[in-house]
Amino acid sequence: MSISETIRPYILALKSKEGWKALSGWCYRKLSSIWTSVYVLGAMALLFVIGTIFPQGEDFGEYIKAGGRFIDLVGIFGLLDLFTSPLFLILALLLLANLIVCSYERYAALLSGRVFPKGFEPTHILSLTHDIPDAHIEVRRLLRERLGFRLLSKDGDWIVMEKGLSYRWLTWLYHAGIIACFLGFMLTYLFAFEDSITLAPNEAQTVAPSTNGRLQGLFHPKHGPTDFHLLLEDFSTEYSESPELDFPKDKTSRLAIGLGWSKPGYEMKPESLSVKDWRSRIKVVQGGKTLLEKTIEINDPLRFGGYTFYQEGYEQRLKIRVYDNPIPLEVKTDEDAFIPGLDATLKFGTFRTGALHRLDGSVEKIKPFAFVKLKTGEEKYEDIGKIDLGGFLDINGSRVTLVDAAESSVLSYRYDPGVAVLWWSGIFVLVTMSLRFFGGWYRLAYAIDEADSIVMLKLNLNSKGLGADPSRIVRRLERYLTMDDIRPFPLPPE
Amino acid sequence: MSNYDLILSRNSFLLGVELRIFWSVAFLYGLSTLIFLFHILTRRASAGKAAQVLLSVAVVLQAGLILLRTFEAGRAPFQTLYESLSWFAWSASLTYLYISSKWESVYLPGIFVSALSMGACLYALLSRSPAVEPLSPALQSYWFEWHVILAFFSYAVFVVAASVEGAYLIIRPFIKRGSAGGYGLTEGNIEDFHASAFKLVIFGFPFLTFAIFSGAAWANEAWGRYWSWDPKETWSLITWTVFTLYLHSKATPGLKGAPASAFNMLGFVCMMMTFLGVNWLAKLLGIPSLHIYAV
Ligand code: HEM
Repeated sequence: MSISETIRPYILALKSKEGWKALSGWCYRKLSSIWTSVYVLGAMALLFVIGTIFPQGEDFGEYIKAGGRFIDLVGIFGLLDLFTSPLFLILALLLLANLIVCSYERYAALLSGRVFPKGFEPTHILSLTHDIPDAHIEVRRLLRERLGFRLLSKDGDWIVMEKGLSYRWLTWLYHAGIIACFLGFMLTYLFAFEDSITLAPNEAQTVAPSTNGRLQGLFHPKHGPTDFHLLLEDFSTEYSESPELDFPKDKTSRLAIGLGWSKPGYEMKPESLSVKDWRSRIKVVQGGKTLLEKTIEINDPLRFGGYTFYQEGYEQRLKIRVYDNPIPLEVKTDEDAFIPGLDATLKFGTFRTGALHRLDGSVEKIKPFAFVKLKTGEEKYEDIGKIDLGGFLDINGSRVTLVDAAESSVLSYRYDPGVAVLWWSGIFVLVTMSLRFFGGWYRLAYAIDEADSIVMLKLNLNSKGLGADPSRIVRRLERYLTMDDIRPFPLPPE
Repeated sequence: MSNYDLILSRNSFLLGVELRIFWSVAFLYGLSTLIFLFHILTRRASAGKAAQVLLSVAVVLQAGLILLRTFEAGRAPFQTLYESLSWFAWSASLTYLYISSKWESVYLPGIFVSALSMGACLYALLSRSPAVEPLSPALQSYWFEWHVILAFFSYAVFVVAASVEGAYLIIRPFIKRGSAGGYGLTEGNIEDFHASAFKLVIFGFPFLTFAIFSGAAWANEAWGRYWSWDPKETWSLITWTVFTLYLHSKATPGLKGAPASAFNMLGFVCMMMTFLGVNWLAKLLGIPSLHIYAV
């Protein structure tokens, strides 16, 4: 049979209303099953693993250049952008649908009230001294007043009570919270966008939103620049001294240190500086009025007009004079720069300036400097030395003077309406999940009856949550029953 | 000697002391592993008890080591992988000692925890640099301590859960055959013992959830994006998903038994991948993974 013949009956069935009904009924049943969530979560986990194997966000050409195999596979399934690929989106939507249908079904079940079985298997049996009606009154009183149980149902012979926060509701609530998290992810996916902006000192700049957000047009129909400006008032860097450790790589020498045969040693080199902080003092201005002023650094961004601005890094430009050329040359740090007067390519390292926190706790101003390297081949450099601001180095017989330096602050900015939704729903999930897992919930069903003229209290105790201790509940119940003369005192063992 | 040189030689001296203590701790974990093995081979409870005592000594010594490191660095001691490995071994062993104190004469899972702790210490000592480094700007956040402490707390709990699950899977067939005397586990108590693996996962799961959530909140403050599908982030999500599968399996009649146990063990493997092996799979398959997570 050909494929078209195989699927024909199904297609025909879908032409009828009943066919559609049957199909949607089947989908709904599947979506309301916990088995589906097991399969979909499993498939998700596998996809995530694939996402950790292939470098995400990498350019396809770069991937091939770096020696990537599996080129066809990567191309067809979009493995370098797996988390925006249709395959991932379909799975995520399937999981969301599964979650929504399950939550709806369980919500309906929670509201409709629970029906308990007519009989429970007793987990504990206690004998009582009172007759059945009195025992009923007393046991109920003890359970309510002393142990804090509330009535759930008294259908049949068994009376069902519960204590603690209902775990069913808590489980339902955190599943519903996960749906809200999905909403946050969706808002991010559809509307978030980001870019970066370089601020030179004392030059006001507007933010011109880039157009990389998927549905950004809905929020920023004009794509125009913002009506406020950012002004960089000051940019500063702080360094701390970070001594280098002279430590062997081979395992035997390391063991020797462990045995105390040799010692590790720290030493301080001129280049042993590590960045402690970058700070930008930023003003938000509009029509000549300052709306906001803030010093930002990593982990302390600026929020304004729906945007968040982050300290990302800096850009440094050095002015150098080759020999006694009256026009200085401008070069960027950490980049190759061909110097015409020298006929050579130099690379100036990061221009160090600002405050230095020394090992002994003192803070001093750095005498500004940069390290210089000479390019000798593809990715090969030779160290030439350190150049101070205003100082010089003799390179290839010519004098190179560092005349001036300017720093700009690089900020990244982001607009993301999903964050707030995600935060609140995430906190909600955490709280409800913690209450469910760490809390304690009990369901106690009991029946009192008589056998051979002995009145018996039959208990069926069920509990959830780490805070629940069913044996303690039974012990307390036994103690109260005994104290109140409802239970015979246990005889000492013979 | 100038004041400055004095500081450098003091720091070198302290590091020397630290390394000697660290080697002793690794040695104690190793010895404890051997005695646990002896317990398994001879079924002597006294050997199990002795191994447990050695493990306790290692934990106490390592607590001192971690305090010393905190003093040396002047900050919480889990910035570099060298530091985190030590913290991991310590918190896993401590959690195990606490949980096992509730069991009567059951020492089987101990070998798993002590061997893992020894492995973590040796990896730190032999392959990582012990240099004290200043806190980088991205780590200077109030999230640093809480995010890391609670993430490692969940790791420690999952290690113990895996040790119980593993011990259960191995010993159960022998108990059924009636040939598992001497290990403190019987038909009567094995299921209760197994239930503690479930309880541990239930306990650790909200902490893992918090760790992922706080990591996202932190990334949002520091880098301006709460999720970047970085391998470390993705592996934490895989771990979370696998433990979710485990919890779901426990609530699904057809999956309660062996599949649930498999998910628990798999959750542990994923957790170790999150902690250590984020690029290991890519390397194994010869695929260039350009996002190397700085550790
Ligand atoms: C992103 C998807 C989901 C996550 C993260 C999740 C999370 C969890 C967790 C952690 C538990 C165990 C804790 C407990 O017993 O309270 C659980 C239980 C459960 N989940 Fe989910 N779940 C998801 C989706 C679903 C879906 C789609 C369904 C519906 C089929 C579902 C149905 C259940 C059920 C029936 C339980 C058992 C609760 C109980 O003990 O009564 N879950 N879920």
